[in-house]
Amino acid sequence: MRNFYEDQNIKRKVLIVEDEYINREILGNILMEEYDVEYACDGHEAWEKLAPSEYSLILLDLIMPVLSGSELLARIKNDPNLKSTPVIVMTSEQDAEVDSIRQGAADFITKPYDMPEVILARCERIIKLSEDARIIRSTERDTLTGLYSREYFFEYIRRIDTYIKDIKRDVLVLNINHFRLINEMYGRSTGDRVLKKVADTINEAFRSSLIIASRPVADTFYIYCENDGKEKGIGLLQEQLDKTFPELKLRLRAGIYQDADMKIAPEDRFDRAKQACDRIRGDYLSNVSYYDKEFHVRSVYNERLIKDVDSAIKNHDFLVYYQPKYNITGDTPKLCSAEALIRWKHPELGMISPGDFIPLFEHNGLIQKVDNYVWECAARQVDEWKKKLGYTLPVSVNVSRIDLFDPQLEEKLHKVLSDSGITEKELMIEITESAYADDAAKVMEITEKLRSEGFKIEIDDFGSGYSSLNMIMNIPVDVLKLDRSFVKNLKKDEKSLMLVEIVIGIARFLNVPVVAEGVEDEDQIKTLKGMGCEIVQGFYFSRPVPAEEFEVFIKKEVERNDNN
Amino acid sequence: MITIEKLDGFGADTATGLGRCAGKESMYLRLVSTVPKQPDFDRMAEAIEAGDLKTGFEAAHSLKGILGNLSLSPLYEKVCEITDYLRNGTEMDYSPLLSEIKAMKEQLTALCD
Repeated sequence: MRNFYEDQNIKRKVLIVEDEYINREILGNILMEEYDVEYACDGHEAWEKLAPSEYSLILLDLIMPVLSGSELLARIKNDPNLKSTPVIVMTSEQDAEVDSIRQGAADFITKPYDMPEVILARCERIIKLSEDARIIRSTERDTLTGLYSREYFFEYIRRIDTYIKDIKRDVLVLNINHFRLINEMYGRSTGDRVLKKVADTINEAFRSSLIIASRPVADTFYIYCENDGKEKGIGLLQEQLDKTFPELKLRLRAGIYQDADMKIAPEDRFDRAKQACDRIRGDYLSNVSYYDKEFHVRSVYNERLIKDVDSAIKNHDFLVYYQPKYNITGDTPKLCSAEALIRWKHPELGMISPGDFIPLFEHNGLIQKVDNYVWECAARQVDEWKKKLGYTLPVSVNVSRIDLFDPQLEEKLHKVLSDSGITEKELMIEITESAYADDAAKVMEITEKLRSEGFKIEIDDFGSGYSSLNMIMNIPVDVLKLDRSFVKNLKKDEKSLMLVEIVIGIARFLNVPVVAEGVEDEDQIKTLKGMGCEIVQGFYFSRPVPAEEFEVFIKKEVERNDNN
Repeated sequence: MITIEKLDGFGADTATGLGRCAGKESMYLRLVSTVPKQPDFDRMAEAIEAGDLKTGFEAAHSLKGILGNLSLSPLYEKVCEITDYLRNGTEMDYSPLLSEIKAMKEQLTALCD
C-alpha cells in the first residue's frame, strides 16, 4: 500500500506568521523544499487567510504587532473548524514555550533557529502526528450517534482495565426488538432518530455508572459500566423511548454480564452479554437477561457440540434411528413408512438429546451438514432394506428451514438419491409448519418445485404454527402431520379434540392423509381413527430404534403380506 | 559590498548563519545587508530615551531575533544583554549599552556599503 504521508505528489501547505522579514525569509527558505509556503506579517493577516483544512501546519511567532501570536493561537484553538490545524510557535522566550504548549501549540521552535534539518524534522513529525490524529478521530466514533466505534471501544476498555484495576464492571448489550421493521415501515430517517435517541439517553440513564458506550452495528449498543444501577438505567432508556416515539411502541432488550470476568478479553465479555441478549429475542415477557453461571455452562457445552460436529459426522457418532408409521384404516395396522430421527452418541459426553443440539445447529446453520448426513444414511438404509428384505419402505427426513433457502438444495437431494439408487417417492421430505412463517411464498415455491420432481412433502407439527387459512388452502403438500401436543391432550382437552377435527377436515379438503404423532395408547388410536386419521406414529407401536431393530417391523410386514 | 570574509572579521559566526540559510551565500549576505536599515534600532533608542521601556523591549526583542538568526554574534550578544534589562523593566542608564550597539551597527553598515 502506498504510504500517504510520503507520497511525493502531495505538497502540503504551511503558513508562516512572522512580522520580521529576515526571519520569514530564513524560515521560508528552509521549508519551501518540502512545502508550499505562504506568509502572513501579523496575526490579523493570518486570521484572514485561515480556512479549515487549508494549511497542514502554522508556524507562529508569538510577539507581533496588531494581533499577537498568543492571541491568534487562542482564536485558532477556540475555533471548531481550525482547532485541529497544528501550530508550532516560534519564540526566544523560554517562559512562553510552556504557556504555548498549554494553550494548544503542538511544539515550539526556538530563536535563533535550529539548523534546517532539525526544523524540517520537527515540522514533518507534527504534520504526521496531526494527520494520524485526524484519521483516528474520524474513525473513532460512529457518525450517527457519536458513540465509539467497535474497535476504539474495545481499545479504550483495554486501557481502562489496565489503568483502573480492582473495580467491578458490568457489561451490557442493548438491542431494539424488530428494529428492522421500524426502518422498513417508517423509513430509515425514523430509524436513525431512534438510534440517536438511544445514544443520547445512554449518558443520562447511566449517569452514575457509565464508563463508555459504543454502537458496534445496526441497533446494537454496548455499554461498559460500573457495577450498579443497570436495570434502573434500562428502565429510564425505555421510558425516554416511549415518551419520544409513542407511536412506534419500541421495546428494548438487554443482555447483562454482571461483575464480568476481567481475565477474559473485552470482546468475549461482550459476546457473553450478547448471548444473554439474544436469548430473549422475541420474548415479550422479559426485557433483561443475565449471563449467569448456568448460561456459561450451557455456552461452553454448546461450543463443544459445535466444535465436534465435523468429527461426529466423520466418525459416525450421529446415529439415525427409525420410528415406524402405521396405516390404521384397515382392521390391522399396516406399516407404511418410517421417520428418520437423529441421535448423537458422543464418545465423551454420551448420548445427547436432539433437543440439545438441533435448535443450536438450526440457529448457527450447522444443521445443514447434519441434515445432509441424515438424508444420506436414510437413503442408503431404504436401499439396503430393499435389497436385503425385498421391501420398499419410504422414509421421511427432516429438511430444516435453512435448507429450504439453500440454492443447492435440489442438487444435494438428487445426489443423495443417485448415490443410494432410490427414487424421489422413497425419500419423503418433512418441513415444519413454522418454516413457512419466514417467507411463505418462497417456501411454497420451493416445495412446489420439489413436488413436481416427484418428492413427497409432509408438513410437520401442523397446527402449532400461525399459518393463515388462505395459505393452508393453497399449500403444495402430500401429508399433514398433526402436532403431537394435540394428540397428547386428546382425552383431557375438548379444544385439542376440536383442533384435530379441524386439521383432519383441512386434510380432507386438500385430499391428503393426516399422520398423528406421539400416539401412546389404544384409546388415542380409536379416537383418531374415528375422526378419520389414517396414519399414526408413536410409542404405541415403537419408539425410534436403530435400523437393525427396525428390521423386525419390516420382516413382520413381509410375513403378513406373504400370508395374505 | 559585504562578504563572508568581512563578516568573519566583524566576529559573525558565518558558518552557522549560512547553515540557517541552507548554505545560500547570496541570500545570507542579502539579508545581512538589510540589518543596518532595521527601524528597530532607532525605535529602541527613542523609546528608552522617552522612558518607554516596554516599547524598547519589543524593539530589542525583534532585533535579537533577527541578529541571532543571522549569527551576527557581537551585535547579537549586546542586544541580548539590553533585551534582558528591558524585559525586567530595569531602571538604569542605558546609554553606554546603546552606544556600543550603535557603534557596532555603524561598523556593520560600513561593511555593507
